[in-house]
Amino acid sequence: MIRGSLRPLLVVLLASFCALTVPASAWVDPPDGWKGDLSPISASDWNYQRAAHLIERAGFGATPEEITRLAAMTPERAVARLVDYEAIDGSALKPFDESGIWDPGMDPFPPSRAEAVRRARDHGEGLGEKVLPPGTQRRLQPVVDKFFYSLTANNIETQRLGLWWANRMLVTPRPLEEKLTLFWHGHFATGQNKVRDYRMLYQQNRMLRANASGNLRDLLVGILKDPGMLVYLDNGENIKSHPNENFGRELLELFTMGVGNYSEHDVREAARAFTGWTNDVLMYKFDSAEHDFGTKTFLGRTGPLNGDDIIDTILAQPVTGEFVASKLYRYFVREDISTEVKADLGRSFRASGYQVKPLIRRMLLSKDFYSTPSVATQIKSPVHLVVSTYRKMGLHGVPTIPDFGRMTGGLGQTLFEPPNVAGWAGGRTWITPATLLQRGNLFRDVMFPDVKGFRPPDRVMSATDTRVGERLAQGMNITEATREGDAESNKMVDRDEDYNTRYGGYAGNLLAFKRTKLIPRQAAPIDVTALITAAHADTVDKVVDHLVHRFLSVPLADKDRAVLVSFLRDKLGSSTVRPSETLESSLRELLYLVLSTPEYQLG
Amino acid sequence: MYGLGLGAGLPFILNRTSAALAAQALQGTSIEKHPNRILVVIELSGGNDGLNTVVPFGDAEYYKARPKLGIPEREVIKVADGFGFHPSMVGFERLYKDGSLAVVHGCGYDHPSLSHFSSMGFWHTGVPNGGESLGWLGRVADETLDASQRNLIVNLGTSQSLAVRSRKHSPLVFDDPARFRRDGTDAEKQALAKLSETRTTSNATLDFLASTAHNATESSDFVRSASAAYRTPVDYGQGGGLAGNLQRVAALIAAEMPTRLYYVTYQGNNFDTHVQQADLHSRLLMYTADAVRGFIDDVKRLGRGDDVALMIFTEFGRRVEENGSLGTDHGTATPMFIVGKGVKGGFYGKAPSLTDLDDGNLKMTTDFRRVYATMTGEWLGCSQTPAILKGQFETFNVFA
Repeated sequence: MIRGSLRPLLVVLLASFCALTVPASAWVDPPDGWKGDLSPISASDWNYQRAAHLIERAGFGATPEEITRLAAMTPERAVARLVDYEAIDGSALKPFDESGIWDPGMDPFPPSRAEAVRRARDHGEGLGEKVLPPGTQRRLQPVVDKFFYSLTANNIETQRLGLWWANRMLVTPRPLEEKLTLFWHGHFATGQNKVRDYRMLYQQNRMLRANASGNLRDLLVGILKDPGMLVYLDNGENIKSHPNENFGRELLELFTMGVGNYSEHDVREAARAFTGWTNDVLMYKFDSAEHDFGTKTFLGRTGPLNGDDIIDTILAQPVTGEFVASKLYRYFVREDISTEVKADLGRSFRASGYQVKPLIRRMLLSKDFYSTPSVATQIKSPVHLVVSTYRKMGLHGVPTIPDFGRMTGGLGQTLFEPPNVAGWAGGRTWITPATLLQRGNLFRDVMFPDVKGFRPPDRVMSATDTRVGERLAQGMNITEATREGDAESNKMVDRDEDYNTRYGGYAGNLLAFKRTKLIPRQAAPIDVTALITAAHADTVDKVVDHLVHRFLSVPLADKDRAVLVSFLRDKLGSSTVRPSETLESSLRELLYLVLSTPEYQLG
Repeated sequence: MYGLGLGAGLPFILNRTSAALAAQALQGTSIEKHPNRILVVIELSGGNDGLNTVVPFGDAEYYKARPKLGIPEREVIKVADGFGFHPSMVGFERLYKDGSLAVVHGCGYDHPSLSHFSSMGFWHTGVPNGGESLGWLGRVADETLDASQRNLIVNLGTSQSLAVRSRKHSPLVFDDPARFRRDGTDAEKQALAKLSETRTTSNATLDFLASTAHNATESSDFVRSASAAYRTPVDYGQGGGLAGNLQRVAALIAAEMPTRLYYVTYQGNNFDTHVQQADLHSRLLMYTADAVRGFIDDVKRLGRGDDVALMIFTEFGRRVEENGSLGTDHGTATPMFIVGKGVKGGFYGKAPSLTDLDDGNLKMTTDFRRVYATMTGEWLGCSQTPAILKGQFETFNVFA
């Protein structure tokens, strides 16, 4: 694993000889006047550094070879290559491989364990499991076990779904498609924690991808009729007699206009208009019996407004164009948007009928995008950080030791699990003293994987469940096996004589482990020796320069470069790099340092 | 001490003894009245249903508005005239009977926002309907705590709360102490310490990253060894998030971390109970009450009971009337809690009327900044409280 092999090294060396002998252009500071200038950058200003910036933001970064190819195009061609992604064949990308965890009888899934139990008591069965005959001890246990099975199995499927998506981000020939889908996932945040049905999240993910660079209206209609979102925002409970404001509020506050641009009255009227918008498991359903057909007044418009009317009224507001365009700008360009740029982008977005693609094209071509305040000033999101590192290493699959979801989750971002309805706040909120250290550590785990000590998160039991299993194995009965401390919550577990909650959690886990496909576990096939050999880096200085060039978006101060150079020189005992048993390991240590610098957090 | 260790080029690993020494060295001179006092703030995010937490069982209007969700009088843990705790809050009953729990009725602010993010922002900054960029606890630190000392603010969570954003202090934010460390060989760690030195460049984000890295390197060993070494016989209950975090706070207090302000969140938007709230809410309240009771017992056990006070808030209560989904929608005023050995237990403020409503929502009776002022003025003894809270707020005489 650790040692570099020489054969592939020679192949890489020969194959990439031409591309890599072209020296990367020196760092050129853009003119001050570019800031805020939305006019397109000219071909004469196009270079390697700007192409690298483009692919970092409009995708997940790239290898020097790929950047060199983009740099050789005109800026229009390079941007078109990313933006007009429908032209690129993506058929090699595989759909998600489902385990098949849903049985007949599990739909519609009850909102709580207590509700599952109530239904089972009433009907003699629940979640596809029969209640045991009267007189049997813990008659409802199979239903309770199944309830917890579903929670765990859906969690595992969602982990697998996240890994599927991460792989897609890594290998896709259409990176902007995934970058935009990730944007919309954060914008229309929906989480497994609440939805508890991975099928809905997968379906939503496909809908967002299909419309990612399309039209905002289609996205809005799509998301407001999306089962995952309807469940996430409780719109099934939004009925004529008792409107639930959640859906209407988030639509206005988070999806389209932003706080301060509408009244509480508008929120309530929007809620009324969306009454009866619900789902029948995986299908949108309009329940006309629960829809309020009465007259509403919303943002100055009066009539028997329905959900579509609300969407159109929102889209007629200038602030909607500005709100959504600004959010895209913050995602692709930089945190601060000037009043002029905001107004300009908002106006053109609305005038285009809310077409996303021309807006993105304009942003990515603008001088503003390549100006000093925009370049290498963005803190990479955890997902971007990990995926782009693998891309820059030239990997063709996401390593599974360490686990991708655990890596990004520890940094505050789990796919299909945004922190709340507002999505990920991004920017500096990614960084705390703890996450900053962790951002480096996880690449040490990639470089020196702990294959023996690795515990797969898709097969992990809580300490409590493990204790229950151990005690049962010792021959204790369920009551004894599930007994814990003296806090009130700990006395509750066996209080209902028809079932034991803690045992249900344990048994449900076991069943979920049996019925979900195992994530194959592999460490990263990294070969740093091959990377530096292909770049003809045969001295310590050249190795450091190559890794800095390949991975960092900002130049390193001389003092910091010197730290890296002396580190590697000490490791190798020489300034010359020669093949040896320990070369790969030393190079990996060096790469760990590069990936742990404050500079590496910037994209 | 941290700085010295680095400057001398020593490997940066602290054992228990040197950790205690480091903690001692971190306690510099203080400019305050009560330099040993600690404030712990707990955020219940999502909007806790105050009416089902402190139940007005003596008011028939409550049962009219909550025909399905109302807590039956016979189940309420009765502690005062007409008011009692949700039946799952046995932990609070204990604290109340010990005289260490104060309930402040009807907390809110004028022109309440029903948006989680806006309202939480107002509580975080302590400036309702204003555009303040620093957190109220951040400002407490700016005004009263020595900015040359590190780690006076600790925020347990995956990301930094606006409440602790400070101009002069860099709050220490972490989630799992065991993972709060820099991995690698000594040579790697030494190189990384050099690569993480603070700097001033034209890229403000880079400077921010470097200064955060610098602080992280210096503080992580202490926090980790303190947490790993901590053992307690106290049962904090099941509420993994809150119970675990409060236990981490106890561990740092036990290790004599110089921290004065701890901020702990109940993760996620848990208290946002729009649908089928009864079971969920009962569980959340039980976890909260168990964890707080456990924490108070634990700090007493550590001999620091007299030095610790705790304040609990949420961004809003729920609407008086239950909704059609056995849940409650976003509302306004809601009770706050102050807990600690030094607290004069009981009820403070006036309970809001359940009939004189503002569009179905309670009219607040206590500006929440009066509770903030009580914590900063009475507990921490900050004379600068009006400057911090940008106004004069009458305190409650909660602390004996």
